[in-house]
Amino acid sequence: MGGISRRGLAAGAAVLAMPAIVRAQPAVLKVGLLLPRSGYLAQAGQSCHRGALVAPRVLADFGMRIEIIDVDFESNVDMARTQAERVINAGAHCIVGPFESGAALAIAQVTEQRKIPFVVNIGAAPQITEQGYQYLVRNFPTGGQLVTNGLALIKDLLAATGAQPKTAVFVHANDTFGTAQRGAMDALYPRAGLPIELLDRIAYDPKAQDLSVEVTKIRALNPDVLLVVTRSADAIKLFRDMVRQRFTPKAIISPGSPGMYDEEFYQALGPLADFAITNLPWANFNAPMTKALEAAYTPANPRYRFAAECFNAGFTFEALLVAADAHKRAGTTDGETLMRAVKATNLAEHVMTGGPIAFDAKGQNPNIVSASVQNRNRTPTVVLPASAATAAPVLPMPGWQGRT
Amino acid sequence: MRWALGLALAGALLAAPLVAGRYELSVLILVFQFVLMGQAWNLMMGYAGQLSLGHALYVGLGAYVPALLWLHFGVSPLLGVFAGMAAAMLAGAAIGWLGLRFGIEGVYFALLTIAFAEITRVAFDHLPVTGGAGGLFLPVTPEGRAAWWMLDGGPVFFYYVTLALAAGATGVVAWLARSRMGFLWRAVRDDPVAAEALGVNLFRARMQAILVSSAMASVAGVVVAFYYRNLFPSQVFDMSRSIELILAPIIGGLGTVLGPVVGAALLTPAGEALAALVHRAGLDAPGVKAVAYGLLLIAVIWVRPSGIWPWLARRLGVS
Repeated sequence: MGGISRRGLAAGAAVLAMPAIVRAQPAVLKVGLLLPRSGYLAQAGQSCHRGALVAPRVLADFGMRIEIIDVDFESNVDMARTQAERVINAGAHCIVGPFESGAALAIAQVTEQRKIPFVVNIGAAPQITEQGYQYLVRNFPTGGQLVTNGLALIKDLLAATGAQPKTAVFVHANDTFGTAQRGAMDALYPRAGLPIELLDRIAYDPKAQDLSVEVTKIRALNPDVLLVVTRSADAIKLFRDMVRQRFTPKAIISPGSPGMYDEEFYQALGPLADFAITNLPWANFNAPMTKALEAAYTPANPRYRFAAECFNAGFTFEALLVAADAHKRAGTTDGETLMRAVKATNLAEHVMTGGPIAFDAKGQNPNIVSASVQNRNRTPTVVLPASAATAAPVLPMPGWQGRT
Repeated sequence: MRWALGLALAGALLAAPLVAGRYELSVLILVFQFVLMGQAWNLMMGYAGQLSLGHALYVGLGAYVPALLWLHFGVSPLLGVFAGMAAAMLAGAAIGWLGLRFGIEGVYFALLTIAFAEITRVAFDHLPVTGGAGGLFLPVTPEGRAAWWMLDGGPVFFYYVTLALAAGATGVVAWLARSRMGFLWRAVRDDPVAAEALGVNLFRARMQAILVSSAMASVAGVVVAFYYRNLFPSQVFDMSRSIELILAPIIGGLGTVLGPVVGAALLTPAGEALAALVHRAGLDAPGVKAVAYGLLLIAVIWVRPSGIWPWLARRLGVS
């Protein structure tokens, strides 16, 4: 009786084995979410943040556990680097963000040195994945890819609708983004093979009180298509001046820029906002994960429509998805192992348009495709590609008069 | 007593990397950056009375010129910094000549400085050699293989670089403040008519202040370029940077040697501490730091209009 019983032995073995069992269970993944939630990029940063806030719940339904550590880098590159250090000190196993290319590169230096995976949600500078970073991946197209895909979709739009515009004018904001897109257009438009002659390129100051002078110039050229790269407020001014001067092109198309799908655009212009087209990566509303995200997003953000916010919210959710999926497969929060899993990502089921989320040797996801998003009844609606479309494209667009 | 205090502070700063983590070091690097930029602006505004709201121009030129020389010709930033200084001084000379020759003073001179910074920003947005609006990117080197003479390294390296630059700038300002030039600047600042009547060449005195200030600000640009390793005209030359860099000297004490140091040492760590407190309290308050900076600025202007350092110096019994 004084010996050791089998039950006692089993209990002892269980106690000894416990630490190993605890270690084998992957701890919850702590994700440092760095976004510009104040400063000049606050609107977009907060939009991304709304998508991120519902992510833990949606991902939990798919069997993935994450915990978000929120940090605002104040739209300031200097601050982005410091905040990356801070969030890693606070226990982040991985970083997601930051909506802006300069900040992405500043953060990348920290994550590289500390061997922490960094998933870029939005940031179009090609150099982000050209610097040889080993701990960085980007699930967003480069600026060049955005314009290339945007122009290719114009061809598809013409084929789908049978429209035959002959001339176009390119109008763009002369800020950082607009000027960069102008550079990409200059390089890529001649190679795009579009049967539309580009009559002129007109730059404007997005802070101008009105764009009547620019619209007068456009009106004199009388193009069939207006290609635009805008922000939000200036897109409204551009449309108002076109209506005022009674200039109605056959189509208004953005080859990849914000402005015409923003909530304030719909609120300011009402029915005049309809039929404008933006070609850029968009949420695939036919995908089950998009439906799950929308179902969680809508009650959590009753003042915001997922249909208008899905670009920022969707890409931020996908970046979190990449991290969570890698963690699930790796079964650890160790940076090196986690990064190997991130690089091996192959997610067929996701939110945005395009093929599976996977990364090439440089850490770029080459499978993202753009969609043609046409404003219909004040709602951005995917009209191409057919696999993601929820309505057929309308070209030429109806005149300004008589819209309801 | 003062020497002992100074030595203890110097020792603590030199030994900081032994105890501070990477995050704390990155905050201190920001502090030293603001000391350097603040001292440059302090020379021009605090000592010579020339209001500049476009100092981002000099920081930007000091960032772009060495970065371009390194990228295209492999020139070490340790040499490129002098080219950056020359470019900034050239821009400063152009502004100074226009302002001083045509009697543009006060807020109108400030507008001129803003105009030059904005013109440069727009120009750099369209210059292909600078990367245009799409930005200029400096290649990165894995840690351990970085070369110090190419100003490449980790946080500890940049901690010592920025500490040396901030200390150097403070030393230069202290020396200038006691020099003949410093006295001339203050005379011109306090009563230009009287100074001129006493034979002070206003143009030369003010131009000297602009040139020294622009050169000093350009050195901060080298750190901006090689620490963050990417430059965008819309960020580097932006008006917000010009405003950001004047906060430390205003809060610390204009026209004093240690004002910008005290201001920078207070602002950045206080902002970080506030953000950490808000986070720890479970509150979601983006932009809380900007609000706190605004309130602090109002409080200082209200309670200590000449800044914190003059008041603190009196309390500590130091001049």
